[in-house]
Amino acid sequence: MLQLRNVDVCYGSFKALTDISMSVDSGELVVLLGANGAGKSSLFNAISGLNKPAAGEIEFEGKRLDGLKPSGIVSSGVVQCAEGRKLFPMMSVQQNLMMGAYVHRRDKAGNKQRLEDVLELYPILREKADQPAGSLSGGQQQMVAIGRALMSRPRLLMLDEPSLGLAPLIVRQMFETIQKINRLGTTVLLAEQNAFAALKIATRAYVMENGQLVMEGDRDTMLGNEEVRKAYIGA
Amino acid sequence: MNLFFQNIVNGLTLGSIYGLVALGLTLVYGILHIPNFAHGALYMVGAFMSYFFMVDLGVHYWIAMLGSAAVVAVLAILCERLVFHPLRNSPPIHDKIAAIGILLFLEAVVQMFWGADFRRMTSPFTGIMRFDGLIIPEQRALIIVGAIVLVIALQLFLRKTMTGATIIAMAQSREGAFLVGIDANRVAMMTFAISGMLAAFAATLYAPINLVYPAMGHVVIMKAFVIIILGGMGSIPGAIVGGMIIGFAEAFGGFYISSSYKDIIAFGLLVVILSVRPQGLFAKGAH
Ligand SMILES: Nc1ncnc2c1ncn2[C@@H]1O[C@H](COP(=O)(O)OP(=O)(O)O)[C@@H](O)[C@H]1O
Ligand SMILES: [Mg+2]
Repeated sequence: MLQLRNVDVCYGSFKALTDISMSVDSGELVVLLGANGAGKSSLFNAISGLNKPAAGEIEFEGKRLDGLKPSGIVSSGVVQCAEGRKLFPMMSVQQNLMMGAYVHRRDKAGNKQRLEDVLELYPILREKADQPAGSLSGGQQQMVAIGRALMSRPRLLMLDEPSLGLAPLIVRQMFETIQKINRLGTTVLLAEQNAFAALKIATRAYVMENGQLVMEGDRDTMLGNEEVRKAYIGA
Repeated sequence: MNLFFQNIVNGLTLGSIYGLVALGLTLVYGILHIPNFAHGALYMVGAFMSYFFMVDLGVHYWIAMLGSAAVVAVLAILCERLVFHPLRNSPPIHDKIAAIGILLFLEAVVQMFWGADFRRMTSPFTGIMRFDGLIIPEQRALIIVGAIVLVIALQLFLRKTMTGATIIAMAQSREGAFLVGIDANRVAMMTFAISGMLAAFAATLYAPINLVYPAMGHVVIMKAFVIIILGGMGSIPGAIVGGMIIGFAEAFGGFYISSSYKDIIAFGLLVVILSVRPQGLFAKGAH
């Protein structure tokens, strides 16, 4: 479904990603593990078209994504829920969710249905619908961010560290809903430092270090791998 | 009583004009982070376009106003496409230098066609309305009502339409806007167009009680900058309230202190307000 071939990403003269080749198949939940500064967000932003790769190809369902504008990439079905959420803080929760439907703005009935689905996934947001998104707790804001991304009708949803800064109980619920979203038919690419929780719901995982992919394997292989356990699980 | 009322009308008139100009300036700053020094030149071109349509082509005031708004909107979009867009990844100082370049260029072009003379542009609204001893010149009433209508129309556009919401979204989170697929170029062009139209409307409303000349934008743009700084950079209510504060201060200060100090009052207020509230009256985010 998603194919990256030899992708490099640079910031000025600094090379943040080197020779990244990876793939995500339809229906999978692929986890991208990596410490702070490994390059996870840089990879997501390159796929989303927020910064252009210096080299390589990015393909989604057989169509080249690199070179498309961010809006074109969202329309193609690749949607990112970014690190730090990037909500519209003064807009209400409902408005934030509806902005997610921007590229499908002509399909009013479809968006209404979709909004119902999102509110069913996160019932608490129904109560908060009219409050400014910026006034919500961290966990609820993360729900709005994921909900907004779902409103864009992704076929591939990229989640960048959704558990960052959340309390352990909230993190567990967060991963449960991510798994649910995946089971309902959305392919997921999940960047995380929280390796144990992420691997538990994963189909497959990649490990990134210093801008390079250093390891790949299915869930059980990764959970059993000595280096992964040492570096990311602390056991 | 009567004089006091006269000053209120004058304050509202000035405040309306300043508010409209500041609104365009604050939109462009809040959304695109461009301090558009050329905004005063757009205002000036707006006045000349109306003058051209009315005096040279002989069309009605209202038609001239719409025509001028359309021309200045296109001109503002051209500024964005040809100048500010190519500079979007450059250091901020480049925007400022380019804006001053546009300002000088537009003034020179207008001067080439119309010369540096002061011109008069009369509107069909030269009468005076009387209410029980209180008098309001028609044109001043038109300015006040016009400003209210424009501000309401802008609010409805920003709050009730999806297209308007993209502008607000871009102002609140640029990355968030990209992530939902909002096209930055479209928003940038739209913002410049709205800003230019507001300037043209303000200029056409104000020209009949003022004069039309190539340097007419200078004082207005300086005050508009004062207004958006004291109102809070990027804040829409800040621009409107700030415009009224400066308008009233000038009307009353000019009357009770001295009309030769009129233009200093705005800057005096700026110093006073910023020493109490350095972030401006409405901190960023009051959209
Ligand atoms: N906009 C930027 N400009 C310059 N360097 C950046 C930028 N964004 C990220 N980097 C650098 O790229 C590397 C990867 O960062 P990032 O992709 O944010 O990693 P991660 O998301 O895994 O924490 C880091 O060294 C970071 O400092
Ligand atoms: Mg990151």
